[in-house]
Amino acid sequence: MQDNPQPSTLKATLAIFLKDISSEFRSFELISAMLVFSLLVIIIFNFALELEPLVRKAANAGILWTTFAFAGTLGLNRSMSVEKDRGCMDGLLLAPVDRAAIYFGKTLSNLAFMLIVEAVTLPIYSVLYNENLLRLDLLVVILLGSIGYAAVGTMLAAMSVQTRMREILLPILLFPIAIPVLLSAVKASGGLLTGADFSEVATPFNLLLVYDVIFIAAAFMLFDSVVEE
Amino acid sequence: METANTTNYMTLGFALTFVVMGFYVLSMYLRNRNLKRDMLTLEELQKSQLQKK
Amino acid sequence: MTQRPLTLQILDYVSILVLAISTYLALVFAPTEAVMGNVQRVFYFHIGTAWVGLLGFVIAAIAGIAYLVSKNMAWDRFGVAAVEVSTVFFFITIALGSIWARPAWNTWWTWDPRLTTAAVTELIYIAYFMLRAGIEDPEKRARFGAVYSLLGGLSAPITFMVIRLFRTIHPVVIGSQSAEAQGGFSMTADMKVAFFFALFAFTVIFVDMLWHRIRLGSLQEKVEELKLNASM
Repeated sequence: MQDNPQPSTLKATLAIFLKDISSEFRSFELISAMLVFSLLVIIIFNFALELEPLVRKAANAGILWTTFAFAGTLGLNRSMSVEKDRGCMDGLLLAPVDRAAIYFGKTLSNLAFMLIVEAVTLPIYSVLYNENLLRLDLLVVILLGSIGYAAVGTMLAAMSVQTRMREILLPILLFPIAIPVLLSAVKASGGLLTGADFSEVATPFNLLLVYDVIFIAAAFMLFDSVVEE
Repeated sequence: METANTTNYMTLGFALTFVVMGFYVLSMYLRNRNLKRDMLTLEELQKSQLQKK
Repeated sequence: MTQRPLTLQILDYVSILVLAISTYLALVFAPTEAVMGNVQRVFYFHIGTAWVGLLGFVIAAIAGIAYLVSKNMAWDRFGVAAVEVSTVFFFITIALGSIWARPAWNTWWTWDPRLTTAAVTELIYIAYFMLRAGIEDPEKRARFGAVYSLLGGLSAPITFMVIRLFRTIHPVVIGSQSAEAQGGFSMTADMKVAFFFALFAFTVIFVDMLWHRIRLGSLQEKVEELKLNASM
């Protein structure tokens, strides 16, 4: 039996989360990179798709989620490889904390980064395309989608960073598995943006919830297997 | 209603199926053969290492 | 080196036999479909390969769980074999689906749920192999492979359900028959015979190939062990 009781999982999770946030807020490296990347992607889409205003309305959701997916991958990769390179991961594993806390802590910080980037991107997109994206129902969908994406992404990033290919492998692993969450999110967002009321997008919305629950549970159970040395 | 003549597509489909399965069987056979050869080489190596001791 | 066990030798011959019979049933015995003609005959193999592709997918997920619980490498070999064989068969499924779509709906691809999910599953398989290829340590490789096949196993059915959703609002193929109808034909009794036999035949062939692939995996492991010993 240990002399010192293990810190509770919740406390450990919070500690890891705060460590990441405070570290990031010192340099803003990650968020600024993700942000600039998102804006560039949006600009590229503008030229790549050359859409009439009416057609663009239907495409907004797709463009937004593609942007978030790519920027998210950037963040996930960086966040994990920094851990590995600085040896933080080994330190965390040696500490008497529940592995689940490491997973949840990392996922929360990755999620936070994604949400911050989304929070800045949305108003800019609204201005660029004269589209009001700051509506509560849309924000809820974006939140749920981001949760699912970050949950699976953190898990897979922990794996990919331990392989020879490292960051390159993450999108290859992540995108096929994340298709349900991306599709549901696009469907729900698209529906809301083109004027459907909530009952019409209930199904994709529910699928988002289902996906989030299933994958957070799965990741929670499997994370041990991914970080043991 | 006239039946479309799609026999060419049918031939393509069946040919593709057999070719792909054939390639896979071939791949397994070749891998097996190479591994068996490696095995023989390694066993001989082991024998000669033991003899040296 | 262990010889092929007698059961496997027999299975090899049986596999060839059922493949031949299934081909005969599909090409000769089954009647020609009235509207789209002979291309419909690929449907029997399309379904046969799809069924075993799916089977392999489920087996891989189960093998993944079994490995994580028992840490017995035999389960890892089983999982790899299942994924590899399924990759081959699903590829055939997708290709046949495309070949069927072209004359039937004048398009090389339909974004219908089954075909698209098969394509996504195929990508998951490929990602699985790329993941394994990037890891040196066999134990870690087995662990990560198991985790990924589990995540894939959870995700693919949800993908299927979501894509189905999309169809309720947009038609899948603009200006032609909805890809929803199973090719738009109903099966006669003879067709059903060919259909069910194809399912049976491909199951036999799948088990045969799986067994061979597992043996190959064992051989691989022995050779790797010898290499390790030789270098010490």
